[in-house]
Amino acid sequence: MPETVLAARRRSATVLWMGRNWALLFLLLEVAFFSILGSRFQSLENLQNIFVACLPVLILGMGQTFVIITGGIDLSVGFVMGFGAVICAKFMVILQAAGLPPSASIPLAAVICLVVGVIPGFVNGTLVARLKVPPFLATFGMYGIAYGVSEIVSENTPISGLPALAGVIGNEYIFYIIPRKLFSFLVRPGNASPEDMRAMLSIIPTIVAIAFIFVIVFAFILRRTRFGQHTYAIGGNMDAATRSGINVPRHLTWVYVISSCFASLSGIMYALKYVTGRADAGSARMLDSVVAVVIGGASLYGGTGNVKGTIVGALIIATLETGMVNLGVPSHNRYIAIGMILVLAVLIDQFFPELVGKGE
Amino acid sequence: MQDQAVGRKIFAFLGEKWASIFLVVLLVVFSLVARNFFAVKNFSNILYFATTYLLLAAGETFVIVTGGIDLSVGFVMGFVGVVSSIVMRDMLAAGNSQTVCMLVGTLVGLAVGVLPGLVNGYLVARLRVPPFIATLGMYGVANGLALNLSEGFPIYFLPTRVQEIGNSFIAYLLPGKAFTFFERPPNLQPGDLRNLIGIIPGTVLVVAVILLLSIFLLRRTKFGQHTYAIGGSKDAAIRSGINVPRHLMGIYVLSSVFASFAGIIYVFRIGVGNFTTFSSSFELFAIAGVVIGGASLMGGRGTLGGAIIGVLILNTLENGLNITGIPAFYRYIATGLILIAAVVIDQLTPERRSTGA
Repeated sequence: MPETVLAARRRSATVLWMGRNWALLFLLLEVAFFSILGSRFQSLENLQNIFVACLPVLILGMGQTFVIITGGIDLSVGFVMGFGAVICAKFMVILQAAGLPPSASIPLAAVICLVVGVIPGFVNGTLVARLKVPPFLATFGMYGIAYGVSEIVSENTPISGLPALAGVIGNEYIFYIIPRKLFSFLVRPGNASPEDMRAMLSIIPTIVAIAFIFVIVFAFILRRTRFGQHTYAIGGNMDAATRSGINVPRHLTWVYVISSCFASLSGIMYALKYVTGRADAGSARMLDSVVAVVIGGASLYGGTGNVKGTIVGALIIATLETGMVNLGVPSHNRYIAIGMILVLAVLIDQFFPELVGKGE
Repeated sequence: MQDQAVGRKIFAFLGEKWASIFLVVLLVVFSLVARNFFAVKNFSNILYFATTYLLLAAGETFVIVTGGIDLSVGFVMGFVGVVSSIVMRDMLAAGNSQTVCMLVGTLVGLAVGVLPGLVNGYLVARLRVPPFIATLGMYGVANGLALNLSEGFPIYFLPTRVQEIGNSFIAYLLPGKAFTFFERPPNLQPGDLRNLIGIIPGTVLVVAVILLLSIFLLRRTKFGQHTYAIGGSKDAAIRSGINVPRHLMGIYVLSSVFASFAGIIYVFRIGVGNFTTFSSSFELFAIAGVVIGGASLMGGRGTLGGAIIGVLILNTLENGLNITGIPAFYRYIATGLILIAAVVIDQLTPERRSTGA
């Protein structure tokens, strides 16, 4: 008898684990599916492309994770990303015209963009935390405002004339290896023979590395610091958080600022990768960011969610996007899949509440 | 003491009526500032462009009164526009008469438009998915389907009568010469065309009829009463015997059908079928219109009259900005600001909460 009880318990533990990690299993299934049907899907190049493709979703999703854990929502992230891209590109052009070398104008423009990126978040946070405007409406208002401002700043045309170095940074890799011949760090070998170029391995896109530094830092903040604890506490029960002495309005303002700074960061990366800035750069990404966080196991009622889940969610979306391109299916079809996955994720959350990991 | 009471009354009055006052102020300011603003032709223009937003906002009002939200309206509108224009184009190419093409295209569009609402309603009412998420999922699905069907391109080669009907007027007046209904006066001279006055665009009349019917539905019928009851307290509504899931299904279908009407009217207006782009933000303008009109997202409060005023504010603003030569994108900023202002004003005047239907 004990053996069967043990076996049953083990089996139910497995089922529970599978239920908890359904997103991860889904991701693996997705990769397997596209590997079988696609051509060269599992190549190093393509796997790295998936990571590049997941960046906007992941970066927007990071900020969105903080907001959703507090029980809020930030609908403005997509257009704030466009705002970031426009501001960053505009300042690169302005600083270049002012005579700064690219090595100075690019980082300076990025810093300016991050600083300006505080504004939408501060406004959102103040509206939500101090004026008690529902997060949904406050950030919906900002959704219109950010788009309008960036169209006006960019004069309704993509900003061009950025320093060429921006494109180099946005598209370079950290290591270049030609097997048994050359190992180069950050610099693309220029004078290699065509055969060598073909054999060359490019490893880790720089923007992916930069993004993951931010992701790791903020994952640490969420899991291991008092700031992170308070974020979960506010989402779990705002009254209790207030009574236990947390300055809830100030904390919430910070959370919305983090979200809009991540959106600006995503805008900077867009400007670097595509060497332009446009107001609609992130307009399709608001949906993606919410979906990534919700797939990752966050509840919209607040109090749960974690960065690991958001990473898996972003990878699911990026794999879908890359896989569809690989199969030659127009990638706009992914919106159909993403919309359905969103509802599915919420239904799983609804019907199997015991499966949803309580916050870390 | 009495001063205080009077002050509070004025405050409450302003809190309640600020949207109408704001609309009047906008009209006066633009009439003074912008040339050509104060003209029959321009006012009819404002209404002509407001029709689609009015329909979206009308459907949204029903949803918001129940305490829900429908984020999918803009993309359902694009989806239905694409479906009905594909039907019209293909039937025309198959050699059917223009009237048959238009009729079938419109009916197929409206029928297909029921589906997103059924799905939204089922998810919200039966599976208890938060309305915001269910309709955000539909926002993606409807947009993907529209892009899939149109392959990312506008749909041309519709019957030529489509655009004629969409841009016709109820009556035409050629001062001192002719007055006709529905059709332009015959034998127009080239010089007459400039003097021809169109009175009330046909689409505006259609939408006005739909709006009047919906006002009746929301204010005077049991369906409307139940809508407010569900928004006020869902538990109480259930206990008083209302079939809440079925009613909510009906509400989301209604919203989706209104969005479909908007999509079809859009096709008739421009004579081309087009999907909705992410940055066109139709849902923003619809929801902003309803909220400016005094609805609460908590449910139980909101009127169609208010929503109409809200939409007219946004469209007057757009028209006025255009005429004064200010870039059109300022309207996104203005809409966002007014939306937030509306919620803050609502927050600051608790007296408003008592006003129901």
